[in-house]
Amino acid sequence: MPADKRLTTHAIEFPYTRTLGPVYSAFLTGMRDGQILGIKSRDGRVLCPPTEWDPNTGEGLDADFVEVGPGGVVTTWAWVTEPTSKHPVDHPFAFALIKLDGADTGLLHAVDAGSMDAMQTGMRVTARWKDERIGHITDVEAFVPEAAK
Amino acid sequence: MTDAKQPDAKQPDAKQLAAKQEEAVDPSAPVTGMDYFMKLEYHELLCPVVREFADALMDKRLIGHKCPKCGLIYSPPRGYCPICTVQTTKADEIEIQTHGIVTNYTVVTPVQYYGQEETEPFAKVSLQLDGGGTLSLQDLPGVPVEQVHPGMRVEIVWAPDDERHVDDVTNRSWGSAEGAIRGWKPTGEADADPSEYSDKTF
Repeated sequence: MPADKRLTTHAIEFPYTRTLGPVYSAFLTGMRDGQILGIKSRDGRVLCPPTEWDPNTGEGLDADFVEVGPGGVVTTWAWVTEPTSKHPVDHPFAFALIKLDGADTGLLHAVDAGSMDAMQTGMRVTARWKDERIGHITDVEAFVPEAAK
Repeated sequence: MTDAKQPDAKQPDAKQLAAKQEEAVDPSAPVTGMDYFMKLEYHELLCPVVREFADALMDKRLIGHKCPKCGLIYSPPRGYCPICTVQTTKADEIEIQTHGIVTNYTVVTPVQYYGQEETEPFAKVSLQLDGGGTLSLQDLPGVPVEQVHPGMRVEIVWAPDDERHVDDVTNRSWGSAEGAIRGWKPTGEADADPSEYSDKTF
């Protein structure tokens, strides 16, 4: 590095811990245990990710959880050509909304399809779980094309 | 800010989360919290006057700028005198002595928050160097905190050649430069009279 272009680096770090509340606690406990949970809304739909409140009426929802997935359908997606260190995989991938089997809403997650050409709205994907799970959305490392699994 | 090519910035959150999980008493207990590790990493060019200061530290020298109008000495140099609002340049650079007087101090009692590496109370001192110039946030390694007091005469202890670095000198550092200046040690001389160091620093 030329002497007249010396770079300096410094970092600011904030290690937060958020309390989850009853619904996200159940959802992430499920993730740790290798299952994806949705919640039943007042009109009988299954919401995944689950919410504490009914999206139509704002009323609190009962803890009526349903296991969904691990397979599902990509309803929309965006390709990421240059992943950063914060992204779930270190090579190009897609962020996608995935309507999991048994759910009526989309879960935002990564799809590791190898190339953009392999991506298609309506394609079937399934969860690739990590071996060591801790109760976090990243316990599913990414979704992959169902045929590839 | 976040750069995938920076190996040290790779997935710190995952490590944090994994470490937290190891602490968990019961692996089958409900998950009630989510760790969220936020890190902002800045890369910036060292401004020219700070670079001069850092280069001098590597040569075991302290430098400052002397305001051509009022004569106040700034170390590290700032490139301007905020009182006279005049620019200072390489022409105003002067050598700062590596011995001086403790003018003030603060004892820090460390709270064990994330990132705190100190466990025992420690002192940070402000110095007035002989011949002019000041430095703040300096260490007196080996001196018990209860013995630190204004008027102490001290001299610099440079980090050894093979360990000396200026990685912690940034555009916003106040001259602490711990990678280059290991600290200051008492010379054993009699304390300075308060008239030598009162009303001279700010």
